[in-house]
Amino acid sequence: MKVAICSTIVPFVDGGGRFIVKWLAATLRTRGHQVEEIYLPFSDDPNTLVQQMMGLRLLEIGKSADRLIALRPPSYVLPHENKVLWFIHHIRVFYDLWEHPYRPWPDNVALRSVRAALMAADNATISESRKVFTNSNVVGNRLRKFNGIESQTLYPPLFEPERFGFQSLGDEILYVCRAEHHKRQHLAVEAMKHVRTPVKLRLCGAASSEQYPDELRKIVRENGLESKVTTNLCWITEEEKAAAFAHCLAALYIPLDEDSYGYPSLEASHSRKAVITTHDSGGVLELIEHENNGLVCEPTPEALAECFDRLYENRNLAREMGRRAEERVRELNITWDHVVEQLLS
Amino acid sequence: MKVLVLNNMAPFVRGGAEELADTLTAKLNVTKGVRAELVRVPFTWDPPEKILDSILSCLAMQIDNVDRVIALKFPAYLIHHPHKTLWLLHQYRQAYDLRGTNLTNLIEDKCSDDVRNAIVSSDNACFVSCRRLFVNSRITQARLSQFNGFSSEILLPPVTSQDDFQNTGYGDYIFAGGRINLMKRQHLLVEAMAHAPSGCKLIIAGPPESEDDGARLKQLIADLGLHDRVMLDLGFIPRERLAFYVNGALACAYLPVDEDSVGYVTMESFYASKAVICCSDSGGILDLVSHGQTGLVVEPDAESVSMALTLMICNPADAKRMGENARDAIEQISPDWSNTIDRLLA
Repeated sequence: MKVAICSTIVPFVDGGGRFIVKWLAATLRTRGHQVEEIYLPFSDDPNTLVQQMMGLRLLEIGKSADRLIALRPPSYVLPHENKVLWFIHHIRVFYDLWEHPYRPWPDNVALRSVRAALMAADNATISESRKVFTNSNVVGNRLRKFNGIESQTLYPPLFEPERFGFQSLGDEILYVCRAEHHKRQHLAVEAMKHVRTPVKLRLCGAASSEQYPDELRKIVRENGLESKVTTNLCWITEEEKAAAFAHCLAALYIPLDEDSYGYPSLEASHSRKAVITTHDSGGVLELIEHENNGLVCEPTPEALAECFDRLYENRNLAREMGRRAEERVRELNITWDHVVEQLLS
Repeated sequence: MKVLVLNNMAPFVRGGAEELADTLTAKLNVTKGVRAELVRVPFTWDPPEKILDSILSCLAMQIDNVDRVIALKFPAYLIHHPHKTLWLLHQYRQAYDLRGTNLTNLIEDKCSDDVRNAIVSSDNACFVSCRRLFVNSRITQARLSQFNGFSSEILLPPVTSQDDFQNTGYGDYIFAGGRINLMKRQHLLVEAMAHAPSGCKLIIAGPPESEDDGARLKQLIADLGLHDRVMLDLGFIPRERLAFYVNGALACAYLPVDEDSVGYVTMESFYASKAVICCSDSGGILDLVSHGQTGLVVEPDAESVSMALTLMICNPADAKRMGENARDAIEQISPDWSNTIDRLLA
């Protein structure tokens, strides 16, 4: 089949939204399909948002492709008679974050009109698709709430998950993730003030600015946690990451209200490691179940410390939960075979 | 410095321009202090009024987080950016030099007039806004000056991977590579084969621009009963396979109508020490191919082309001599990437 995959980008900004397209394209190619990846620049400038959407709407892939798979918003405005959406998020500032105190723009007539136009365009162009998939129940629920559109959850798998596996059960709780405030690495560091056991914490991941990493290092320093916390706050290679997961005690993933389960929890699961997360981490809870393949606690340093200690003291529990983490991935059918079958059906 | 390369795309079709855009991006990325990315904007010209949509679409786009833009083709070069350098590979020729020929989809009616006017005026507005105007050949330069009144500098595109093209001997076939459409006139070669001696073989390899373009060629071969002497390899041709065909050919043939540039097909053939058969109206190709020296330049009709094929087949020593000259010729003019990039970023 000739498949065009279309997504939007901000030039020179990488992220999950771009990787999922590359992985999907590579997967389809290995299965013998002809794939064209189409990345279109899109700016979140509210003053030109509607105009830019019109621009995308006027583009045409036409009959050269048997199917168009659209991902990052608003690539789905491209018309195609065989359009399938793998909807990964809204333009959130105009949707669920509109009521958020940190909304960057004023609530005025002009922007309310932009919001209304965006929603109308979304409703019309999403509805014309042959099928709508989302990457999580959280996103699916939003699509129902704001657009009245039903969808099916189609969990994104890891690229080449066989790179991940269990090697040993170490002493470290591992948090691999971009270092950003809403990922809350600070809670993890604070938790280390309260642990009773010799459990350790390792943070890996780059930050967009040095401010947050500096803050984290400061907490470590001021509390004398240098021997307990390793801050590896830079970009690490895929090999280093796989090795870190393979040898950790358990993984941590505690973002605030995340849309999806997040690749770190999936990488941990393929490495047969338990995942500690929090009640308010959103989509992570679709994968991680308390006392099954991990622990779900309150988003406080004390509660986290208790989870760290518990897995340190009870290594069999950590091992067993890790085993079930891998099972859970199978249970949810998070595989490329399933993704390809659904997107091309 | 963050440099965005802009090109257009016809989904699932790749040709010289795509190759150039990929290589340019890769070469920019290994240039000190530069990060580069390529954006390809889908372009539809059928029916012609869709061109208006494409123009509007590009004008409506916004590019953030980019210091420089290097734009190659219509209509992608219309996307606004305060620091845009144009490296014009060709304009939408159907609105310019091809007007009034049977090779344009813009006929003489009101609708086509509107589309043509929109193309010309959006082109002019874009060219004015560019920091610098480079073109890929003398022909493109002349057209830009004649139709739009803009002067420009010639910047010849280097061959993308010239090391792949190395002579492996002179076989018994003529090779014709490149995109397949009416303008590249592969059909003329097939027709010529009907008049050529029976020992003459032809291989045509490349992506047809449309299904019709491929089907037409197949039909012609069937009608002329040439299937045992003309081999078609239609579709995207991986680099290694293309090089295999070129490197082992007796000579190459490339007969485009008034081509904009010297053409990758020509340059690759020259690197592989192959003489090139082209036509007297092949445009930029004639900058490189000189009759009797590095190839044969013949009239664009089946009899003349068949004469050229016959000459090559019957005089392999001549084909070889011209092929060796071709290699010398390309080595003398061959541009290199680091100078090219210096000029684009100057």
